[in-house]
Amino acid sequence: MKKEDFDLDLPFYAVSEAEDKGVEYAEARLQTTKDMACIMRNGQQKPAIISESSGLGIRVIVDGGLAFSTSNVLEKSQIRELVDTTVRRAKAASKLLKNKIKFSRERKNKKKWKAVEKEELEEKNFEDVIKVLKEFDSIIQENKDYIPMRLLEMEISTDRKIVVTSQGTFVDGYVPRLYVTGFLTGMKNGKTAQKSIEYGGSGGWELIEVLKIREDIQHQTSVMKNIIENAQKTIPGTYDVITGPEVTGIMAHESIGHPFEADRILGREAAQAGESYLKPSDIRMRIGSEETNLSDDPTIPSSYGFYLFDDEGIPARKRKLVVNGIVNELLHNRATAQAFKTKSNASARATKFNREPIIRMANTFVEPGDYSFDELVKDVKQGIFINSFMEWNIDDIRRNQRYVGHEAYLIQNGEIKHPLISPVVEVTTERLWSNLDARGNNLEYWAAICGKGDPMQGAPVWAGGPSLRLRNMKVKTR
Amino acid sequence: MNIEIVDKVTDIVFKKASQLKVDDISVISGYGKESMLRFSNNSITIVDTLDEVVVFLYLAKERRRAIGTTSSLQEGDLNRFVNQLFSSMKYIEESEEYTPLPKGPFKYESFNSYDARIEGLSGELVDYCDTAINTALREGAVRVSGALTSDVAAYKIKTSAGVESIDRSSSITINVRAFSETNSSGHGLSCAASTSKFNPEEAGATAGRLAKESKRVGYWEEGIYDLIVGPTVAADLMQMVASSASAFRVDTGTSFLKDCLGKKVASEQLMLQDFGTIEGGFDGRAFDDEGVPTKRTNIIENGVLLTYLHNISTAKKYGTTTTGNAGIISPHPWNVVVNEGSMSLDEMISESKKAVYVTNNWYTRYQSYVTGEYSTLPRDATFIIDSGSIKYAITGTRISDNIPRQLLNISGMGKEKKWVKWWEVETPVYTPPILIKNVNITKAQF
Repeated sequence: MKKEDFDLDLPFYAVSEAEDKGVEYAEARLQTTKDMACIMRNGQQKPAIISESSGLGIRVIVDGGLAFSTSNVLEKSQIRELVDTTVRRAKAASKLLKNKIKFSRERKNKKKWKAVEKEELEEKNFEDVIKVLKEFDSIIQENKDYIPMRLLEMEISTDRKIVVTSQGTFVDGYVPRLYVTGFLTGMKNGKTAQKSIEYGGSGGWELIEVLKIREDIQHQTSVMKNIIENAQKTIPGTYDVITGPEVTGIMAHESIGHPFEADRILGREAAQAGESYLKPSDIRMRIGSEETNLSDDPTIPSSYGFYLFDDEGIPARKRKLVVNGIVNELLHNRATAQAFKTKSNASARATKFNREPIIRMANTFVEPGDYSFDELVKDVKQGIFINSFMEWNIDDIRRNQRYVGHEAYLIQNGEIKHPLISPVVEVTTERLWSNLDARGNNLEYWAAICGKGDPMQGAPVWAGGPSLRLRNMKVKTR
Repeated sequence: MNIEIVDKVTDIVFKKASQLKVDDISVISGYGKESMLRFSNNSITIVDTLDEVVVFLYLAKERRRAIGTTSSLQEGDLNRFVNQLFSSMKYIEESEEYTPLPKGPFKYESFNSYDARIEGLSGELVDYCDTAINTALREGAVRVSGALTSDVAAYKIKTSAGVESIDRSSSITINVRAFSETNSSGHGLSCAASTSKFNPEEAGATAGRLAKESKRVGYWEEGIYDLIVGPTVAADLMQMVASSASAFRVDTGTSFLKDCLGKKVASEQLMLQDFGTIEGGFDGRAFDDEGVPTKRTNIIENGVLLTYLHNISTAKKYGTTTTGNAGIISPHPWNVVVNEGSMSLDEMISESKKAVYVTNNWYTRYQSYVTGEYSTLPRDATFIIDSGSIKYAITGTRISDNIPRQLLNISGMGKEKKWVKWWEVETPVYTPPILIKNVNITKAQF
């Protein structure tokens, strides 16, 4: 993977052309994304994969109408035509406009930034990727009698974005990312279990060590063997549930992160990803116990959702979503910030040049507490420890959710016992967070690709937190 | 649509790849022009105009293979892309799956409807949205959201095995979600390959009517119900079944159809087909990524699984011939078609004693792909049926069941089919409503 030079003139040219047509706002984003990936099925390499996407996205506001256009034919004549089309379409849209779109007033920013990268990904080739994948594969093969099917993929990518606005902002950002995903099928003596695994971060080749990928793959293969050999049926009933960081993370992402996206609250995603259980007036509403403290922070070093400026050119910062059980802050872009009479907190991201910037989570997590894991378990008489999950889903207002355990164990009188088959937690958001009575001190993050938008955008995120203790949870089984 | 650029980039990439003395080359350049109008709260929120030319390249040399895509179109960038892909092959092991590209030329037959008018639509798109919104409001909704997408695309293929061809397609779709004053909601859509068959009014009317009809909500208990799935839900279910027929999915443990060839996997009433191109369909092509002519493939007939979907490599492994569904790595369906039956939706309802009728769903996830244990969430209007008639709407439902069991429990196929493609259903599916016996419906602890 090699760096290519950008024609920096193009986004300035696009914004200047739009300004000449009298727009209220113009923004141009030049973005190049490069990926290389390798897939292995049961140790057998699939074809090498390379992809590169490069182009310009332009957004304008005219008479309160918003339009976004893109092209990868990067010639001035094409860009001029594109600006013309964008402005005409914004005007046409204003015909069917009940609510004029305005952006919040923000400071202009001029900044170059990049994620810290110790060992540059652009210096790596397929030989490096394959060598590491083979190593991961050999770890799984140690338990091949229990895991007859395994699929592994590694992808390294670079993403450079230059954002220019008619309000004087110029932000040039660069994020390299490393992502490993896999799918393990455990099968023996008529028993089966499956687990998808994901690891991702922003930075260089050092992420393989930082993310402890080898160690977790080792753990996952041992867990699979234990499930196949020893897992027993889950008896439905009421249990205290202790979650592992992976389960805490998905709960935080689905039931707090998404419904705190202000565009959903205003109904903009209603026909696709849905709305929210929150209404615009629900700031300061109680949503869970005093222990319910959740944040989203794009600035965590090495994180998969890392950025220092969003795609509207706003500087990133930590957002404290829930503080002591109270709704504290939503995720905003400039349009929703204006509607809520506040400032943007830099939540606008676009995954490729041909996607509009929309409100996205970055790294959403439950803040850690001060309990050790042993202390969480100690006074649980009848409980279940769910350390990881496979099946999950949630309704489109983010209230009715379900998590089905993969690695899970019975807890009796403060002791972890045998593994359980597929315990099911199916619960509303308010019940889930109201039943939280203690947080562990073991903060961990897990990578995911979060889907939202139309056309769909898969954004890199971390979701995480510590172990949680949830009292009196109804647990079912499949 | 000006396809000069597609010709130009195909030729640049093919010429450069030919100089590298590889064994196989397949270049496919696609030019897509898409307009999308999104609306919520009865108002347009954004107009997207997305123009993109993407070049796909497959190379093989001495059984080593590589695939790539690029949208960097300068000649220097394209040459660099080809060189980079070529260089990557030396690190890849020789593949047992390697199969030379089939020798052409082939005769391609495309049934894609290409409506050139779609590319020129501009103000009309706003009018279509206006129509859908106002119709939904007239039917009883108070706020309406949705997305209208018009798309034209042209593809050119050129392979080292003597294949060269062009295909085009067009589509126009609208997805409407309407809400009543109590926040009950309904969903409607219209998906067509040409403007003549596009009906935003019907989409808006359906969404508005369902939002109104689902205002009266009643109590229900979790348990086993017969399930009537409307076309939108049936489409989601059947796209999952067709995707699970991909030989790659079978080989990677992500399908419940492993070891099922020639076996009964569904009710005898079910026939499931894939069409490379079909009149009224809108996502297919006359050729696949390996230059093989796409065709009609009967995946399930009388409930029996007849074939997996193959490219040339998976076909070789299974000792059969390709079905024209390449994906170099993973074969995939193009346009999924489900057979019609004899029942009207009213008959399905009137013949059900204890049932749930689901008009839309989302967020389908598996606990196990090999066993088919999964759940999905109904959304929008969902009704409980008691002794042959709709009693009231219900909320907070989840279908939590097993796909193989559900397929075997199909007891009725509707007679009116509908094309479905929207946010949750990526592969176009032409399907009627379906009646399935004894499905587990669960609810959350609250």
